[in-house]
Amino acid sequence: MIQLILILAFGVLCLSSLYFLARRSPRAEGGSGPLVEARQAVLALRSGLLPPDLVARIFAREDLEYVQSEVPDNVRALFIDERKKIALSWVNQVRRQILCLRRFYLGSARSYARLSFKTEVELALDFAALLFACRAVLYIRGPFAVPGMVETTAAAATRVCNVYEKSLAFLTPAQLGTLADRSAGPARP
Amino acid sequence: MDVQQAAEDLRRRTLSEIPRSLDRLIYLASMRDYNTGLYYHDGLASRFSQEVACEALADCHREAFRDLVGRPLRDLVSQMEGYMDSTHTSPGEFLTAWKKLEPYRVAVPVETDPLSAEFLFSSFKIALAILEARLRPAPVAQVA
Repeated sequence: MIQLILILAFGVLCLSSLYFLARRSPRAEGGSGPLVEARQAVLALRSGLLPPDLVARIFAREDLEYVQSEVPDNVRALFIDERKKIALSWVNQVRRQILCLRRFYLGSARSYARLSFKTEVELALDFAALLFACRAVLYIRGPFAVPGMVETTAAAATRVCNVYEKSLAFLTPAQLGTLADRSAGPARP
Repeated sequence: MDVQQAAEDLRRRTLSEIPRSLDRLIYLASMRDYNTGLYYHDGLASRFSQEVACEALADCHREAFRDLVGRPLRDLVSQMEGYMDSTHTSPGEFLTAWKKLEPYRVAVPVETDPLSAEFLFSSFKIALAILEARLRPAPVAQVA
């Protein structure tokens, strides 16, 4: 009986190991795909999601005041609804890009980008703060109720982006080529 | 350098005559072949080259887009109203067509970041609703 239990336990252990191995993201294995994704994430954050002008424009109270003073109720509701959609889209896109950078860092770049333990902890805390702010903006108050929250989210995202970008500075074109070659395996004759 | 000169030439000769950035955006989008994504302008191409003219038009298109995205909603509504008047169609027809066809969706430059495009489309939608509300004001309750 004990033998049967031990064999079953061993079997369960093997199956669980297989399950977790199968679930591992292929991105963690290296390759040029994650590098390209990480660079695209930095670019998307820098040029499309975090420029202060765009963020200020999306959450401009000036537009809200205009709508409140000069526009009928039904259009005012449409305005709030539309801006909320854009705010949610902004938060989700920022979160997605930061997660992409984090995945790349943890999966492929950690061994190359030697961050100190302190920096890693700071990075994790910054990221947690960002997620908290994102969720707060998403679920609690809406885009115009807490303007400071948007600035906090953008600032936290910028900090995280800066640190990851610095940690990925080793990715000079030459090293990028080496990494890509390494991930592609031995060259064919 | 040639591209900058061509863009400057385009701004001086043509775009300076189009004061509103919405009109500039639509004009520049109309210079683009939707099958290839390339811009064509015979006058500019004859002074520079087809490739340079194409790049210059693309630069000015991006510029017009950035300018429009940066405008407050009040300004966008005013620009749309001005554009609507300039088309000499009836406001009702114009608003119906723009709401149904959403022609502004094909007027954005290629490689525009999705959030900016999404934001501009959303602002257009709101501006159209504001203009429509002005056109058809809510009925006032009559006092007997």
